Amino acid sequence: MFDVWKNVLAEVEQAIPASAFATWFKDVSLASISPDGVVTIKTPNVFKEGQIRKKYDDVIRDALKRNGVKFTDVTYIVSGEQRIKPRSREISREEISRVNDGAAKAPVSDNIASSAPRNTKRGFASSSFNSSSRFESGLNPAYTMDNFVIGSNNDVAAAIAQRVVKDPGGRYNPFYLYGGPGLGKTHLVQAIGNALQAEHPEFKIAYVPTNSFYNEFISDLKSRQADKFTKKYQSVDALIIDDIQMIMGKDATQNAFFDIFNELQQHGKQVIITSDRLPDQLEQLDPRLTSRLASGGSFDIQLPKFEDKCAILRVKADYDAVEIEDEAIEYIANMVKTNVRDLEGEYKKILAFAEFKGITPLAVINSGMVSSGSSSHKNVVSPRHVVDTVAKCLNLTVKEMCGKSRVAHIKTARQIAMYLLSEELGMSTTKIALEVGVKDHTTVMHGIKKIREDIKCDFALREQVASIREEVYA
Amino acid sequence: MEIEVAQEKLARALNVVSRVAVGAKSTLPILSNVMIKVDSGKVSLTTTNLDMAVVDYVPVINAKDGVITVPARLLAEFVQNLPRGEKITISTDGVKVKTSAGKYSSTINGAIADDFPELPEINEEKAVIYKMGVDEFKAGLSQVVIAASGDTTRPSLTGVYFNTADESLFVAATDGYRLAERKFIEKVKSEVAAIVPTSSLQEVLRSIPEEADEIEILFDDNQVRFRAAEIEVTSKLIDGTFPDYRQLIPKDNEVKIEVDRNELNRIVKIAALFARESNRAITCETDAEKKVFSVSSISNEVGENKSEIETEVEKTGKVKLDSRFLIDALNALTEEKVKIEFALSSAPVLVTNAKSKDYRHIIMPLNV
Repeated sequence: MFDVWKNVLAEVEQAIPASAFATWFKDVSLASISPDGVVTIKTPNVFKEGQIRKKYDDVIRDALKRNGVKFTDVTYIVSGEQRIKPRSREISREEISRVNDGAAKAPVSDNIASSAPRNTKRGFASSSFNSSSRFESGLNPAYTMDNFVIGSNNDVAAAIAQRVVKDPGGRYNPFYLYGGPGLGKTHLVQAIGNALQAEHPEFKIAYVPTNSFYNEFISDLKSRQADKFTKKYQSVDALIIDDIQMIMGKDATQNAFFDIFNELQQHGKQVIITSDRLPDQLEQLDPRLTSRLASGGSFDIQLPKFEDKCAILRVKADYDAVEIEDEAIEYIANMVKTNVRDLEGEYKKILAFAEFKGITPLAVINSGMVSSGSSSHKNVVSPRHVVDTVAKCLNLTVKEMCGKSRVAHIKTARQIAMYLLSEELGMSTTKIALEVGVKDHTTVMHGIKKIREDIKCDFALREQVASIREEVYA
Repeated sequence: MEIEVAQEKLARALNVVSRVAVGAKSTLPILSNVMIKVDSGKVSLTTTNLDMAVVDYVPVINAKDGVITVPARLLAEFVQNLPRGEKITISTDGVKVKTSAGKYSSTINGAIADDFPELPEINEEKAVIYKMGVDEFKAGLSQVVIAASGDTTRPSLTGVYFNTADESLFVAATDGYRLAERKFIEKVKSEVAAIVPTSSLQEVLRSIPEEADEIEILFDDNQVRFRAAEIEVTSKLIDGTFPDYRQLIPKDNEVKIEVDRNELNRIVKIAALFARESNRAITCETDAEKKVFSVSSISNEVGENKSEIETEVEKTGKVKLDSRFLIDALNALTEEKVKIEFALSSAPVLVTNAKSKDYRHIIMPLNV
């Protein structure tokens, strides 16, 4: 097809003055020929586009005809124009599993949101978000199931999310999702909302962060329209409440929510809730509400492991269509131990420097431009610090924890410390034994194994370990 | 076509538009012409170099409709040499353009306007439009263009990046060694992210008439148009991505000082004298004990130099900078006191006015 274009250009060159050809047709190329015969020609700037369209359209059509190109229409674009549309390519499942060894996607959390406007460059977002006629859903279209990277840290939650999309109001109602900050809860629930909307365009879907929920409630209450508030939310087909823990201690809002919740449940409408903790850990909450929240099952998102973090960054880089070396990705994944939000913060920072200096991301890392500052200290944690933090988090003194006590909770604390020293610092069992004051390395091996096994089935322990780990790096 | 116009009006307009016209040795000779067009009595002069176009609407005494193109520089220089206050008459006879004023008259060979490139149109309904005072526009832009790159191998850095964030319009430019950002308009509703060529902006700055109060900026997908009084400059946009520069701006710097701008400018200039053979490298240091900020430079051949300013210093630190970049930044700042912030690593150095947060300048340190 592009050989034909050379011939077409040659014809055009014959047909018009040489100076005009040199001025107007330099860097003009064939962009595409669509199956229905629309020829798209790419011009280097808007001045040339106008001129060619107005003055040389006939010449080009003639030349195309003479070269046997069958076409229905000829259109012109300015190079770069197509970049206005998001560059995201659909990320297929196969691709993800290739990156992540069968595990699949994970939260590219809220930063996908920030890369989407970036792709709608020169965009005029104000005009495009004009869905006044539709129900105001509060959903951000940038969060999709496709750009949610699934890994071992969130595969269960993601699988259930898919079920919810297939069968809203079904078995997993309410869908209760919990996990630490910046791990992709919001992304996943927004993605469910968007997928539901795509499947059922007639659905009224409402996504509300809890604080907006009670602010709205309060303002409606002031204007004596509490009814309107309840009605509004009782009329939706799916309700997504983000960060439900914010409702703790707000009794009136809880009551309103309880009513809405019951109404929706009875009519088989889907309710989706996120939180930073399990339902029964929500304090100052009506027990009736607690039990209802837990009735559909609670699912968690964990901190991603090294491989998951690499996969997240790779997917994000593909989505942004940027080049980044594997070593650079590994470096970032290794350096950031807190959460996905920080991971992406670091990634964005390194890319910004790379673009700014005109060098590759790896060169930025090697030059030390970003190494210090906010994140480097996260890398170096002393064993002492880990032991101190574990003790502090569990309300023990270091002396108690590292003593000889066989009391269950102290023993567990000691084992958590061993586990973290091994997992996070990669210390040898002998060294760990010295650090936590136990007899020998076999005790340590047992302790690590015990915690490793236990957190698989004990949600509370898993939460506890995750929060201590965050504290360690905070 | 026929026009009757005052000499100074025509001379000023021709002066503005003829700068954009391409030199005579262009592949397309008509680009060195100015198009004179009278449409329903409204007279416009247009030139283009295919990257940008300038249109100047000239107030005239009398005009009859028609259109012609003539070599821009020749006509401009002819009109400029005529005495002020003369009434000039331009009329066409085929492609011959007769220009006369009192005792002076000339006939210039023009060319028909059909071959003159048409100007790209902007759909004003779909375009994003900003309005601001001319003075702020000029002042703000000149604070930023200094940081733009001249390196054509990285086109996206050869322009000024108009972008919106937190409901404000910002302009920013960088050359990979320093970056300048200025807040332009607050509380804007529409969003934009576009790179405008520096060359076009310089033309805009030069063309804006003295009497203009307000400038209108219109963006559409591929072009931008600046409109002030009777001048309209349309330019292509640079195709490319601008670095996500907000990520580069350091957030919590260890070392922060506030000093008098003129005093600092003086000692940096002095230090620069001794830095000529070391790639203009000067060392800025803070001493928390002695409470001084010092600038020093060493030259193996010439000698060395060190100057100090007393100021509040909380942390001792040291950074090496290109003196020219620091001088540029200090010249772009406006307040009496300036703030300099840097980290104890090779992270960028932030230079701002002590009070106003509207202008930020960052400089990459030199490798020590």
